[in-house]
Amino acid sequence: MEKGNKKFVAKSLATATCALLGTTGTNPVHAQEEQPWQFDTALLYYGENDDRVQDLSLNVLARRSFADDRILSLGLTVDSLTGATPVGAAPMDVAQTFTRPSGNSAFSVPANTQPLDDTFLDTRYAVTAGWQQPLGRLFTGTAGVSFSDEYDYTHIGANFGLTRDFNKRNTTVNLGFAFAQDDIEPISGSPTPLSPMLDVGDISNRRGTESKDVVDVLLGVTQVINQNLLVQLNYSFSDSSGYLNDPYRVLSLVDPVSGDTLARTPAPGTEGPSHEFRFESRPDSRTKHSLFAQAKYYMAGKVLDVSYRYMTDDWEIDSHTIDAKLKFPFANNRYLEPHIRYYTQTEAEFYRATLTAGDPLPLYASPDYRLGNFDAITAGIKYGWRTDSGHDLGLRLEYYMQDGDVPGNQLIGNQLQRDMYPGLNAIIFNFSYRFGLGH
Amino acid sequence: MSITFIRFVFSLFVLGFLSACGTLGVEPWERDVLAKDEMQLVSDPLQANMDDHIYFSKEASSGGRGFGGGGCGCN
Repeated sequence: MEKGNKKFVAKSLATATCALLGTTGTNPVHAQEEQPWQFDTALLYYGENDDRVQDLSLNVLARRSFADDRILSLGLTVDSLTGATPVGAAPMDVAQTFTRPSGNSAFSVPANTQPLDDTFLDTRYAVTAGWQQPLGRLFTGTAGVSFSDEYDYTHIGANFGLTRDFNKRNTTVNLGFAFAQDDIEPISGSPTPLSPMLDVGDISNRRGTESKDVVDVLLGVTQVINQNLLVQLNYSFSDSSGYLNDPYRVLSLVDPVSGDTLARTPAPGTEGPSHEFRFESRPDSRTKHSLFAQAKYYMAGKVLDVSYRYMTDDWEIDSHTIDAKLKFPFANNRYLEPHIRYYTQTEAEFYRATLTAGDPLPLYASPDYRLGNFDAITAGIKYGWRTDSGHDLGLRLEYYMQDGDVPGNQLIGNQLQRDMYPGLNAIIFNFSYRFGLGH
Repeated sequence: MSITFIRFVFSLFVLGFLSACGTLGVEPWERDVLAKDEMQLVSDPLQANMDDHIYFSKEASSGGRGFGGGGCGCN
């Protein structure tokens, strides 16, 4: 096979594979440089409004290409997380006190504010390794492993993929599998679902460590339409089973008429919750189906990247995502790339803003806003340039805005005057640097 | 939209591409644009990975393009 063709083959197969894997990118090195090592590095800052979650993340992806289109990928991510997260309880017109997840102390939240726990502090490390190689003339195989660790969560996973070309390599079919086994160790043990938040020092409702398994299957087809247009369509299936709860989130137990959270008094001589709260409960399995379509269109130097994803699951969540980027090149290897993303989802069947006292306790209930009914928009811009030595740098700034509401028929009494659904704004700032090594 | 509908649409696309594709596509020597870095489906895998992780942590959906994020206690 002549050299030009070979380079192309590596690129298109790797593209399909890269799209398949998502996590470990398997794009080959720059055609121009032909350096065996390519490093992608990035520093990302994510910061939410009101001193909520802040994340500083360092990411490195190293790719080494060998003869015959074989590629090794190694990835490392370090995240430093701080900030406050929603407790899940509803705001009240009086101050509220909560026991911390550890059970060792209590904290208070002022009246008419969304209860947030500000002791969230964690460092997460994640590593990935992947291998890609041709299997015969038309097939490419990939295999990879992943591992991550944070103070209350450990993940280990493996993935495999196969792609096959058709129609003079204009059509590529991908099939992939991924397996994950995650261990969850909530601080002081996972609370029994729907049990009450207890006084400081009382962890009698805590169980031990938990685990969950995830299986992912992806089937996709990539098609070259013409010299300037490439499209992809993927169907994904994901099945999670095991412990799917958020161990730190609680629902407020409210009066059926006023909608106010029932008050409570801690035992004499101890601190504890000022009101009645119940730990959330989710099903122990979740099945998701997604359909994803993407097009990349070259228009006289500019590149348009548009994608759409539909997701539906057995928790009754449906979502739609539309994403578009347009890359404008300028002289001296510089470019600007504006980006817009729109996301909408409907709430999980067991999403509840609060629990009503007197009603039979449901099997499943969660106040997690991330399972709620909301829209989100991302708007951003990236500026990139290439140095004289062929290194690529980029600066990206994005704004993420999430806004939703509690389904009307769930609100009771005084809740109608309160802001029962926390919105979210976040700034994302990202610096990236890509370079090659070796000859 | 139901799962059956998703499967139906997907099958149509796959069959369409595999069978009716004599007219779609390019010759091997016409791939200069398609070979460019910026024309790869995931031209920046690190950025895609970081963004997928953010959205996986803040929304109820994940993946689509590749495997569904995960491997963290963030969701």
